[in-house]
Amino acid sequence: MTHHRAVGVEMTKSLRVIAIATAVALIGGLGTVTTQAQAPQYSVWLVESSRFMGVPFGAFMPDRAFVPGSTSPMNNINTVDLPVNVGVIKGGNDIVLYDAGWKAQDYLKMTGSAHWAPLPQQLAQLGIKPEDVTKIVIGHGHWDHAGQLSDFPNAVLYVQKAELEGIEWALNYPHPRISAVNTSPGGCARSPACGYPPLTLAEIYGKVLSGKAVIVDGQREIAPGLIIHPAHRAHTAGSQLLQVNTAIGQILFGSDVFSSWEGIRDWMIANPQQTDTVQQFLAYEKCYKITGGFQNCVAAHEPLSYTDKYPITKNSWVGPNGSRAAEVVLAPGEMSRKPK
Amino acid sequence: MKGARIMARLPSVKVLLFTLVLGALLGIIGVALVREATITPAATARALRPTLSPRPALTPVEEAYALALWPIHNEVKAGALRMIAGGLSYKLGQLDRAALKTRIETARDTYRKAAASIGTLEPPPSMVKHHGDYREAVRLYEQSAREMVRVSDDGRDEHLVRAHPLSMQAGVILLKVGNELWPTEYKPN
Repeated sequence: MTHHRAVGVEMTKSLRVIAIATAVALIGGLGTVTTQAQAPQYSVWLVESSRFMGVPFGAFMPDRAFVPGSTSPMNNINTVDLPVNVGVIKGGNDIVLYDAGWKAQDYLKMTGSAHWAPLPQQLAQLGIKPEDVTKIVIGHGHWDHAGQLSDFPNAVLYVQKAELEGIEWALNYPHPRISAVNTSPGGCARSPACGYPPLTLAEIYGKVLSGKAVIVDGQREIAPGLIIHPAHRAHTAGSQLLQVNTAIGQILFGSDVFSSWEGIRDWMIANPQQTDTVQQFLAYEKCYKITGGFQNCVAAHEPLSYTDKYPITKNSWVGPNGSRAAEVVLAPGEMSRKPK
Repeated sequence: MKGARIMARLPSVKVLLFTLVLGALLGIIGVALVREATITPAATARALRPTLSPRPALTPVEEAYALALWPIHNEVKAGALRMIAGGLSYKLGQLDRAALKTRIETARDTYRKAAASIGTLEPPPSMVKHHGDYREAVRLYEQSAREMVRVSDDGRDEHLVRAHPLSMQAGVILLKVGNELWPTEYKPN
């Protein structure tokens, strides 16, 4: 009898501990959910910084490589045009850019690109002036994603510490093949230090020098409803995603981690570069978890962008120099910027 | 009389013409409405798609010059990246002044060697401007390095701030020249 009573007392104690722990977890979880649900909703647009024309599909997505004579829709497209999509996010006290395109002057035309327009000009069609931009989150530091930082004098740059450390590591690695900034004559063929022209690194450096940079270490909420998530090695050493609270649920921007929206949908790697493809898949999973599917994952180079086939981008129009823009979602009370 | 009755039953020419014209106008409007309803932004974008004509190939002498400058460019580019990354690491507290000085002095050495090597090249007439521009870029990087290294003496960040526009200018030139000589240097990233 004594033994049974002792066991009963122990069980009651255990149950009490479990109940308290569960209650604490529930309250904590509820608090988190409540916080994101209470966060302001943002308006989101997408602008096309430029378009790389006629890129072999297989170079972009190995699993979609063209097979002459194939009737499979997975392998019957030879080349694709890749937009360079920049996210424009407005809400609260912020206007945020996710990625910053690349810089071209009249005489600077990267081979095979078209429809380049300066970001300030593209933002003007949304009624946004460069000095209005408060934050820029770069998904990573490659030349076509961090190129126009200096055009936004008031914007604070958010870049992962791991990205800067990755560049430093690569440049100083004691093997010439790994530290190479160029490889074949006339080419920069995917070595770890590739993809960072001195001008682009100088753009990032300029923000740090002017005191307008936040070096992020992992996950960070940069404003209510705007959360940076690390996606290290999912494209570059310090890639990062940006979660945005909107009226259509959570949207997750992914830069080149999410190079292809079809890749996220079909679980295929895209734009391998310096990518650890396992990390890229884990980042895809993160989008499914955060947004509840693949529809709200925003890809940087999806060829179907601005068409009905990529639904979140279908509310689109043609802007400066034939570049495209899309109105993704409006916050309550926000007026449409789509030309009538 | 019979002819007059027949004539009275036939619609007048004016009415006929009016009906034809009206029909044609309505037809045009109908076609336009159908077209407007079916044109998508994507279709409009496709219509605006430029026909990119292939770039003219470099001549053999131009290509020889580009190939000769390429290894020099690799060194200049690597030197510039290490110098800028050094400035970044210093500002982020990961490099001290002595280490930054070493990094910058190494870069300066690279630029001096590059300038000497470039001096030995003989560009074809069509490349003389690019040759001059590239020499200017190297000079600007060297000037930037000279300013940056002063921070190791007095610890004042204003040297870095003063040096920065020189690096930016040099970086623009590198891309400008590279776009002509090595157009495949930067692929979509």
